[in-house]
Amino acid sequence: MASIVLTNVDKVYAGGVKAVNSLNLEIRDGEFMVLVGPSGCGKSTALRMVAGLEDISGGEIRIGEKVVNHLPPKDRDIAMVFQNYALYPHMTVEENLAFGLKLRKMPKSEIQKRVNEAAKMLGLEQYLKRKPAALSGGQRQRVAMGRAIVREPQAFLMDEPLSNLDAKLRVSMRASLNQMHERLGVTTVYVTHDQVEAMTLGDRVCVLRDGLLQQVDTPQNLFDKPVNLFVAGFMGSPSMNFVTAELVKDGGTAVAFAGYRLPVPDSTFHDKPGLDQYFGRKVILGIRPSDFEDSVAANGNVSNGWVRIPARAEVTEELGSEINVLFLIDAPPVEHRDTVAAADQGDDTDTSLPLVGGKSLWTARVNARSHVRPGQNIELAVDTHNLHFFDVDSGLAIGHPANIGR
Amino acid sequence: MTTKTAGRRAATRGTPRPPAATGKRLGPSPKMAVWFLLPAVLLLGVMVIYPIVYSIFRSLFDASGSTFVGVDNYVSIFTDSAMLTTIRNTLIWVAVAPALVTVVGLIFAVMTERIRWATAFKLVVFMPMAVSLMASGVIFRFVYEQDPDRGVANAVITSVRDIFSSGSGIPGARPRENDQAPVVASDGAVVTRQPVSPGQTVLVPLVGLRPDMLPASTAPAKTPGQGTAGINGTVWLDFTPGGGGAPEKVDVDEKALAGVTVEALRDGTVVATTTTANDGTFSFPELTSGDHVVRLPRENFEAPFNGLSWLGPTLITPAIIAAFIWVWAGFAMVLLSAGLASIPRDALEAARMDGATEWQVFRRITVPLLSPVLLVVFVTMIINTLKVFDLVFVIAPGSVQPQANVVALEMWRVSFGGGGDYGLGSALAIFLLILVLPFMMFNIRRFKREQS
Repeated sequence: MASIVLTNVDKVYAGGVKAVNSLNLEIRDGEFMVLVGPSGCGKSTALRMVAGLEDISGGEIRIGEKVVNHLPPKDRDIAMVFQNYALYPHMTVEENLAFGLKLRKMPKSEIQKRVNEAAKMLGLEQYLKRKPAALSGGQRQRVAMGRAIVREPQAFLMDEPLSNLDAKLRVSMRASLNQMHERLGVTTVYVTHDQVEAMTLGDRVCVLRDGLLQQVDTPQNLFDKPVNLFVAGFMGSPSMNFVTAELVKDGGTAVAFAGYRLPVPDSTFHDKPGLDQYFGRKVILGIRPSDFEDSVAANGNVSNGWVRIPARAEVTEELGSEINVLFLIDAPPVEHRDTVAAADQGDDTDTSLPLVGGKSLWTARVNARSHVRPGQNIELAVDTHNLHFFDVDSGLAIGHPANIGR
Repeated sequence: MTTKTAGRRAATRGTPRPPAATGKRLGPSPKMAVWFLLPAVLLLGVMVIYPIVYSIFRSLFDASGSTFVGVDNYVSIFTDSAMLTTIRNTLIWVAVAPALVTVVGLIFAVMTERIRWATAFKLVVFMPMAVSLMASGVIFRFVYEQDPDRGVANAVITSVRDIFSSGSGIPGARPRENDQAPVVASDGAVVTRQPVSPGQTVLVPLVGLRPDMLPASTAPAKTPGQGTAGINGTVWLDFTPGGGGAPEKVDVDEKALAGVTVEALRDGTVVATTTTANDGTFSFPELTSGDHVVRLPRENFEAPFNGLSWLGPTLITPAIIAAFIWVWAGFAMVLLSAGLASIPRDALEAARMDGATEWQVFRRITVPLLSPVLLVVFVTMIINTLKVFDLVFVIAPGSVQPQANVVALEMWRVSFGGGGDYGLGSALAIFLLILVLPFMMFNIRRFKREQS
C-alpha cells in the first residue's frame, strides 16, 4: 500500500487540447479517493496517467516513494478495473484471476491460494471454470475486481467500474466495494461521473472540470460547503437552485429576489466572512432542494429560521419517500458559465420545461406526506440557515475558507 | 410474412381457421419450392456436379478413353518417380507456404497498427493482389534472372557481397604455355617452374587479359628490385599493345597486375603470403634461406561471384514460394488487421496493468484473441497452396519444370500440356479435390458456426 501524489501534472494531447491542467492531488495511504466530474473533464485521463497507460506531459507522479513518470504500467505495482471489465475472453475465470500472478512467476500453490481466497470473497467459486462470455454483467465485474485483488497491489485504480451495470446491481456492488475497501484498506482511486457513487464511496472526493481541480474534500463538506457554483450545481441531486438576488439591509438583513424576501440570520454572516461586503449588491443565491419543506405537512416542525414562501407546483415527481416539487419563480435563470457547465452534464432528473418568459424552474424536495398535486398552490418553508451565496462575476462561494483572499 | 401468406390462403379457401389448426405447413407449397430451386440446381449440376462425376469416371480409363483401367491411374500417381517429386513438392508447399504467409501477414498487420501512413503502406502491400498471378509470375521470372544486370534478386545479392569483399581477381589470366615461361599453370593456380631462393627475383608474366579491360588507373609494371633481402618479384601482364616488347621481360608499356595474392611455399606448405603492390611488385623480405616455390593461388583466377541460380533445379521451389508470399501476404495482412482492430483495447491495457511486457501481451492476449482469424487465413492459404498453378507454370523455365512440379501443374501437363492423357489428368484432378476437401469443409463449418 502506498500514497499517490500528483504534482502539477499536465496532459496535453496532440493538437494542443489540455485534458489535465496542473493537477495537484495527494491520495493518502489507504484512502478511497473518488475523481468526479462531467464527461471530458480529464478524470479518466488523470487515472490513466497514474496507471501508466498515458504519457505525462508535465509534472510528477509518485506512488509511494517512487517517481513513476516514465515507468511502464507493469513496474508500478498497481491494479486497474476497467469500465467494460476488460476480461481476457479466451481464458476461464480462474486463468483471468491468475494471469497477473503467473506473469510474476509466483509459485503455483501461492497462485491457487490467492485465487481461491479472492473467489471466495467475491462469491465466484462456482464460476472458476467458466469463460467470461458465460457470465452475467455483475459476475464479470466481480471477476475484474478479483483480478485486481489477487495481485495485492500498492493501489487500485477503478475507471467507472459500475457504469455498465443495471441500477439495482450498481447499488449492491457499491456496497460490496465499500466493504471490500474496509477489509483490504488498499489505496483506491475511483473515477466516476455519477455523483451518488462519489458521495457514497469516497473518503474524499475530488471534483474536476475541464482538467482543472475544483475542490477536494469529504462528501459532506462538498455538499455543505461547495467552493464555487460549479461544485454546488454538480453535487447533489436534484441539483441546487440558483437565482440572482440582492442582499439588502433595510428592516433586518435579507436577500431579495423575484418578489420574495428571505431573512438572512446573523450566524450566516458569522460563518461566511466577507458576506457583509455585499450589502446592496447582487449575489447569486443557491438553495438546496432538500432545504425546502411543505409548511403544511411539516406543521409545527418548522421552527426558528424557516421562512414560508408561497409557490405554485408545476410538476411533481413522487419518489415514494419524498416528492420533488418543481415550481417557477419570476426571475431569469442564472446564466453563469459554471451553472451551465454543471447542469449540462448533470443528472438526468433535470426536467426541461420550456421556460416561459424568462422564469426559472426550481425544485423543492418535500415530505411524501404533503399531498401536493401539479397545479396546486403550496406554501414552502425554506431553511434560511443553509443559504449559499456566490459572487456574480467569479462564481466563487462567498465566505468559503478556500476563497478568502482570492 | 408467413402470417400474411397463411391468411391469404385461408381466405381463398374460405376456411377461416387458424393455420396451426389445419395441420398443414406454413408458407408456399413444395411445388413452388422446386421452381425456385431449379435454376440453382441446374447451374450447379451442369457446372459443378457433372464435371466432378465425369472426372471420376474418366479417371478410370486410359489415355484414349477407350479402355477401362480401374485404379491404374491412381496407382501410377503414387509409383511414378516424377509424380512422387510432384507430390513431394506439393507437400513442401503446404508445409511451408501457408505458415509463412500467415506469419508475414501478421507481422505486417501488427506493424501497420503502430505507424503513420498505415493506409498507404497497406495499399502497397495489398497491391500484388490486384495483379493477376500470371503477371506476378512474369515479374518474378525477371526478378530471378541469373545475370545480376537483369535479375534484381542477384543484383541485390552481388552488390551486398561486393560491399564486404572487393572482387579484385584476375579471372582469365594465365601463363604462356611454352618451356621458356618461368611460371606454369598447376591445378588452377600459377606456380614458379623452378624453386626460388632468397635474393632471387621472380617474374610472373601472365597473358590472357585485354589491357583495356584493366582499370584505367593501372600503373606500368616495374622490374623487381635486385639485391634486397628475401624474395622479390613482379606480377604483370606480359603484353605490349601494338606489338613489340620481349616475352618474359618487363617492358615499358606493360601493365602491372595489382592486388594479386602471392604465396611462398616451402616443402608444400605456405610459409608467407602477400599481395602485389600497384606496380605489380611483391616481396617476402622475411624469407632468408632455403628454396621456395612462389604460387599465385587459384582464388586469383576464379570468376567473380554472380549470384545464385534461382531458377535452377535446387532453388526453384523456395523461389516460387517467395513469389507466392509476395502475392498473398497483403491479403493475409488485410484480414489480420481487421481482426486486430476488433480486439478490445481494454484487454490489452489490462494485460499491461497485470504486468505483461509488450511481447507477453502479443503472445498471450493478441495472438489467442486473433486465433480465429489466423485460422481462417491459414486454411484459406492451404487451399490456395494446393491449387497453385500459374506461378509455377510461369516462373519455372521448361527445363526445371519437372523439379518444380506441383499437382495442379502436373494435372495440366499430362492432359493438355503435351501429355494428352486425360485419364491420368482426371485422376490427378480428383486427387487434388480430395486434398482440398477437408479444408473446404473446415472453412464451411466455421462460416456456419459464425452465422448461427
